[in-house]
Amino acid sequence: MSEKRIISIFKKGNKKRQRVKQVAKFCINDHHDILVEILRRLDGPSLCSAACVCRLWSAVARNDSIWEELCFRQVAPRPSLSLRSVVSALGGYRCLYFVCIRPVLARLPKLLWSRDQLQLSLSLYCVHYYERLYVGAWLSDAPPSSLMFLRKPVNVV
Amino acid sequence: MKRGHVETFVPPPPQPQPQLNQSSSCEGKMMEDNNNNMDELLAVLGYKVRSSEMAEVAQKLEQLEMVLSNDDIGSSTNVLNDTVHYNPSDLSSWVETMLSELNNPDLDPTQDRSDYDLRAIPGLSAFQIKQEQEVEEESNKRIRLGVGSWSDPGTELTRSVVLVDSQETGVRLVHALVACAEAIQGENLSLADALVKRVGTLAATQAGAMGKVATYFAQGLARRIYHTTETTVNSTVVPAMEEVLQMHFYESCPYLKFAHFTANQAILEAVTTARGVHVIDLGLNQGMQWPALMQALAVRPGGPPFFRLTGIVPTQTDNSGSVQELGWKLAQFAQAIGVEFEFKSLAVESLSDLEPEMFETRPESETVILNSVFELHRVLSKSGSIEKLLTTVKAIKPSIVTVVEQEANHNGIVFLDRFNEALHYYSSLFDSLEDSYSLLSQDRVMSEVYLGRQILNVVAAEGSDRVERHETFTQWKGRLGSAGFDPVPLGSSAFKQASMLLSLFAGGDGYRVEENDGCLMLGWQTRPLITTSAWKLAGAAVSRR
Repeated sequence: MSEKRIISIFKKGNKKRQRVKQVAKFCINDHHDILVEILRRLDGPSLCSAACVCRLWSAVARNDSIWEELCFRQVAPRPSLSLRSVVSALGGYRCLYFVCIRPVLARLPKLLWSRDQLQLSLSLYCVHYYERLYVGAWLSDAPPSSLMFLRKPVNVV
Repeated sequence: MKRGHVETFVPPPPQPQPQLNQSSSCEGKMMEDNNNNMDELLAVLGYKVRSSEMAEVAQKLEQLEMVLSNDDIGSSTNVLNDTVHYNPSDLSSWVETMLSELNNPDLDPTQDRSDYDLRAIPGLSAFQIKQEQEVEEESNKRIRLGVGSWSDPGTELTRSVVLVDSQETGVRLVHALVACAEAIQGENLSLADALVKRVGTLAATQAGAMGKVATYFAQGLARRIYHTTETTVNSTVVPAMEEVLQMHFYESCPYLKFAHFTANQAILEAVTTARGVHVIDLGLNQGMQWPALMQALAVRPGGPPFFRLTGIVPTQTDNSGSVQELGWKLAQFAQAIGVEFEFKSLAVESLSDLEPEMFETRPESETVILNSVFELHRVLSKSGSIEKLLTTVKAIKPSIVTVVEQEANHNGIVFLDRFNEALHYYSSLFDSLEDSYSLLSQDRVMSEVYLGRQILNVVAAEGSDRVERHETFTQWKGRLGSAGFDPVPLGSSAFKQASMLLSLFAGGDGYRVEENDGCLMLGWQTRPLITTSAWKLAGAAVSRR
């Protein structure tokens, strides 16, 4: 081969190496907001898996807006912003999802979510919150569990 | 080839249906027909059979059964389909017609099939049931209330005794119970005593819901026979116990949740633009209804109104300060979600002691709402009380009154009627508890005890002690209508929420929500059990303020 050729191959190789180095500088873990945006688009099971990847992702996944999106994705029209403060006060969307929305979806997968279904879920969530914190000091054996019916029979011992 | 259980025959319905459903159960309620010749049990189903003819009819039915089971289904059903009957409720002639048709299939059907009408039985709801489906379903159910086996030798019953092979303990149990109640009604206490013991032994051997129901009813009957009374059967012994029981009942079944959520929805629709909301709860208990309402108000477009709750508690529970604590908890909840809240409790002996001034309503700044969940019927125990209470209610000018009551007539004058109604009603209730397999056993037991106390009150108590004086929606409609209230139909939101709630419950296919004349009825299988309704003052516009 001629010298020029060898030099050009060498230069190309250098450039490639440089290019590879530049691409490698981006890491998703450095950009939590983008991570949140991505996680917001996941469905329930995937989101839960994602939350188990590493500590960082677990912490990021606690961002309530991700769960809010998950809870209300199928609801139309979107509930008002005032709901956000109420739900946060009651324990957050993540809790709402695990306590109410996920069992409901498991029981009724084809449910059409509209205002009424949402209202019912929120009512159940309120009941859950209220009785966990305020009722049941005298029900000494077990804490009251009005939402026991939502749990799968296998969990009920 | 005789089948083991009691069977009744459903006459072919007006539409052509493939075969005669020979299913084994029907409600064994007894209602006193005006016409005393007719057998009462069958009259409940709409069949008119003279008591004197019972044996004959039974024989013919047996023949019919043999013919049908011997034949090819195919050939006989054609005959059956084409056979036309007048008045199929007259069982005796119907059976004649059937037998003659089957024996002489060449006869031309000349008669018109009349629509049999299952007489609307007072005490049953206005459910439009498809009878054959009902019977079909019930044939597989645990609780079987059968027909016609009066096998007690020593009875002084005047009707002819028709012995039908009934090996089901459940059937015998029911008959023994009813016979015992009859004996008590007829003041034949020695017989009643013997029968109640029999019931006890039978009930002990019967597993499942029927056994439990029978045990409670037997207990009630025993109390009635021996006149044992507690100071009040609705005992004041441990009011806290009552609360615990109700809490378990709340958790384990959808009835109370249904009541609360549908009432809340009715209230929400009435206060869409109110700046202040004052709710008067005639039975505060644990206040489980109100967190959900407060949350719904908090996210209302336009912001939450000022929420004021006045809870009525019976005097006995007021001593321990638990009511103040409850108010405090509700206030904390309200603060957490950002709703201005005010709480007040009123302790009264009886709801009729309430006076309008006690509520301190502020009509210019608030919308008043009255809520009563299973409370109104207690007021019927003293005459004149309900009228006074309703007058008081009218005086405070509520925008809407939400009423949830049991859908049963347990307030009849005749003991036997009450007994039969109650037996049927609580059987359905206990059956629904049985089916929810996800229940913790403790929850279920507590719920059964809670219901059992109601049973004892209905059966054993009398006079002002008997507070479980349930009445049907129709009866309440009459009462409230004559007191000056108009019904407000519950919207479809409430219906959708209720349907969703029930479909979430395991055993959810047994629960039914029905909209009936503007009210919502929750029922188990085909039996409606509780009704939510809303009312406004007659002549007032439904002020959706």
